[in-house]
Amino acid sequence: MMRKIKGFLLIGIIISILITNFVAITATELTAEEIINKRDDNEYITSIKAEAEMIIVSGGRNITKTMFILSDKRNALVEFTNPGDRGTKFLKREDDLWMFFPDAEEIIKISGHMLNQGMMGSDFSYQDIMESDKLTDLYDFKIIGEEEISDRLCYILEGIAREGVKVSYYRRVSWIDKERFISLKEELYAQSGKLLKETKVNEIQEIEGRWIPIDSIMENKLRKDTYTGFKIVQIDFNPEIPEGTFTLQNLR
Amino acid sequence: MKKYFNIVTLFLIFFLLGSIPISAKVDIGGELAASLINIIDNQGNLSVYPQESLDLELFLPTLNNTQAKFEIYLFNNPMSEGFDYLIKKLYLKHKFDKLHLTLGRQPISWSFGSMLNPVDFTLGAIVMDEETGAKYQDAIEAYVPLNWNSSVSLVAGFPEASQDIKWGLRGRTMIEGYDLTLNYVREPEIDFMGTIIPASQRIGFTTKGDLGPLGVYGALGYYFKDNDDGDLAYLIGGDYSYFFEAGNKIYFQLEYLSIKKDNLSSILGSFFSGNVTNNLNENIGLILGMANYEIDEFSQINLMAISSLNDGSIIVIPGYRNQLSNNLSFNLSTGIYFGKEDTLFGSNVSEGAQQRPKGMISIGLTYSF
Repeated sequence: MMRKIKGFLLIGIIISILITNFVAITATELTAEEIINKRDDNEYITSIKAEAEMIIVSGGRNITKTMFILSDKRNALVEFTNPGDRGTKFLKREDDLWMFFPDAEEIIKISGHMLNQGMMGSDFSYQDIMESDKLTDLYDFKIIGEEEISDRLCYILEGIAREGVKVSYYRRVSWIDKERFISLKEELYAQSGKLLKETKVNEIQEIEGRWIPIDSIMENKLRKDTYTGFKIVQIDFNPEIPEGTFTLQNLR
Repeated sequence: MKKYFNIVTLFLIFFLLGSIPISAKVDIGGELAASLINIIDNQGNLSVYPQESLDLELFLPTLNNTQAKFEIYLFNNPMSEGFDYLIKKLYLKHKFDKLHLTLGRQPISWSFGSMLNPVDFTLGAIVMDEETGAKYQDAIEAYVPLNWNSSVSLVAGFPEASQDIKWGLRGRTMIEGYDLTLNYVREPEIDFMGTIIPASQRIGFTTKGDLGPLGVYGALGYYFKDNDDGDLAYLIGGDYSYFFEAGNKIYFQLEYLSIKKDNLSSILGSFFSGNVTNNLNENIGLILGMANYEIDEFSQINLMAISSLNDGSIIVIPGYRNQLSNNLSFNLSTGIYFGKEDTLFGSNVSEGAQQRPKGMISIGLTYSF
């Protein structure tokens, strides 16, 4: 009986090793597109409802802005809730950005060049916060190496903007966790090759079966002693978004 | 009519407040500001007076698609040397399926992103990108959404200095990425401190969109006149952002307004209108510019200027803002007038006319809560 159990154990161990090796071999053989697709599958969302905090830090000073975010595949609505900005809303419909000013209760279309600017004084641009396109639709990726980040083994992928596609950053280098397929670090470059921004993830959490960065920072590499933290306080995936949410009349 | 309007509004608001459950979250927020205003006259004398204000807003929960708003602005009035107030908002809004109805004191703004707006519901509601009290109106607004970006709104206003109704109609849509509006306003006869301002009408058109990396906008207004040809006014403008190597950003906005002098005073507001009493039929060309430079995440400097191309007079308005903490900010703004005697923005006026300051400096703190 004991011998049989030992026999099963041995077979079990061998199978586990084989499976582990198979997974490892399969994993190493993933193409850049498959990796980024897995990342998109993990991080890309059909729709979300979230509460978040943005902490703008510069030269030892910091200010916090709180917001409520609703987003689907193409559109996003952000409403600020902190004193000073309370009631300020942004609506992004594809490439168009609209802003609601709560004092005057007026809706103004924001010029396109503002999309790449820091949102409410932060290092995150409006596009960074409200971009909802799949990365594979915007960039061509290739694997350029592997590296360990925070004790997690990562693929290093380089994405170059596809021709004719409007993107905020021409080139992006992403460190993607080999097991969880979440981006732990990302460098964002201009077409000139200049490093513009760097994002790092401080904390991730598994929520509804997905690994989500709930605490991350973005550094504007063109400036010194400054970064913006972004913390997700609460998040729901695929919430029911009422019809008419992403409309101008809903901003009023 | 106006008396009944106020009574009905108050009754509805008390009814709504009474129906809000005790457990519902009611919040108070606003802004407390204190500043020192320094006025420099033509002889170089400096007069200083403090100015304090409190903007208080009640945040009430929305109940069955009905929203109540109350916002009051308390300030010390240097004219009366006492405290005064302005009710900015005291209204009820109900969102029906195909109609949003707003009843009471409310801001009515038809801004489209320019620094001056010659076709607003109330002319002078926005001056040099700054809001004025003129935009808060006792009114009923019916807003009909047509699709996500198109709407029609009808406004019936009850101006304080008139017994008649002020009417406004505005349509808004978007074509090829351009925000387009078409509006009509009928002003009633106004009795302004014994001076009768006759009823008038105007139509306006605005557009805003992108032209490559530039934001562009424009407005066209036509002011009807009873026994004469009407007056045409137009405005064109654009904005642009430029990033420096060090990551700092500068934002530019430039616009040109062509308008008959007769119609200018209401658009510029009383602050700028001291010298517009002569040659009222003259067409005026104004050029306005703004540059805003972000020093860092928390501080920025800006420079605004408005100049008359007819007489070369100019107002230069430099400013500085620093966000000291989450809720506290420091503001410095100045206004300096340049121009010969009796020019549009010149501080020198003819003998007997009301004297205008040479410049102004305001230093203050603002606390948001």
